[in-house]
Amino acid sequence: MAPGRQMAEDRESRRPALRVVPGGASETRREEEALLAAFLVGDDEAFGALVHRHEGLVLAIVRRYAPTPEDARDLAQRAFLRAFEAARRALRRGPRSAVPFRRWLVRIAVNLAKNHRRDEARFIRAPLEELGEREGRPPAAPEALEAAEREARVRRAVLRLPRRQREVLTLRVDAELSFGEIADALGVTENSARVSFHHALRRLRALVLEEESP
Amino acid sequence: MTAPCRDFEVPLSLRAARALDPAEAERLEAHLAGCAACREEAAIADELVRLARLPPPSEEERVALAHLPARTLGALQRREARRGAGKRLLVGAAVAAAAALAVLAPAILRQAPRPVPPAQGTVAAAWQEPDLDALWDDATLLVETAADQGGTGTEAALAALDAGMGD
Repeated sequence: MAPGRQMAEDRESRRPALRVVPGGASETRREEEALLAAFLVGDDEAFGALVHRHEGLVLAIVRRYAPTPEDARDLAQRAFLRAFEAARRALRRGPRSAVPFRRWLVRIAVNLAKNHRRDEARFIRAPLEELGEREGRPPAAPEALEAAEREARVRRAVLRLPRRQREVLTLRVDAELSFGEIADALGVTENSARVSFHHALRRLRALVLEEESP
Repeated sequence: MTAPCRDFEVPLSLRAARALDPAEAERLEAHLAGCAACREEAAIADELVRLARLPPPSEEERVALAHLPARTLGALQRREARRGAGKRLLVGAAVAAAAALAVLAPAILRQAPRPVPPAQGTVAAAWQEPDLDALWDDATLLVETAADQGGTGTEAALAALDAGMGD
């Protein structure tokens, strides 16, 4: 074997595997279409399965903008209801206009979260889980308090980012969507989403420094 | 602090997002091994992303979301029921209107068409100032006609009286 080819193979073997599972995405899509179709003919369990499958994703998208867990739940519920309505209409128009349910859901959840942020002046919050846990725990060490304060500063700064940058950043770090999915949800190109993420990080850093400086 | 290399600014952010493809990641890691400024920038980007990420859902949030599928299904069914009731109401109203029309239509059709009074504006527009000379002439004719008729009658009556007195 030629040395160059051997090196290339060695490099390939060390590289983290990024495999495309045959039929993976389309298999998931087919399953979702089957669940949706089953629900539309009256199978309530199919509905539950669809909600259960995506509730974590929807919560990840909306919870940053919801001041209480109940608000997050209500936003998630509205997102599911609208996504079902949109998917049902699309299915009625025929298979050509069918859009994967997950894509409807992400786009609708992003819009609901955006509108909620616009409508409510109460979106800036400390993470609820920390507020709840602080009540019952002993006073934290100064280092821990300082770290918590820094986290809070960064999360506040996230909400002060320009809208597109904030959406790209949160869809990536909270919902862990790929940049392809983010691009689909926001109606931009994948490259634009990547560049927006970079600008979001730079802006975030500037905002945090601005808040930290006396 | 030294600025990071310009060509690697975007990849450094994407590295923090764990969004580089393997080839890009490999190229960047090779660069980072020899570039302190980019290593520092990479550490800052990693830290920012870590701090920006929301923590996992709290117990309170998990409890609130425990019954999301059932709640959402309930909300959907209520909405469908409301829509069904609305549709039934519309259909009922349409049937009632059709029945009322079927009963009333013969009576309505039997009624003679009423003359439609001209609109006030039409009358006003059609009015013309009368010709006073023509009116005067018409009045004269009427007087003369009446005098003629009256005169003949009076003479006849006097003649009849004379004849009676003469009797």
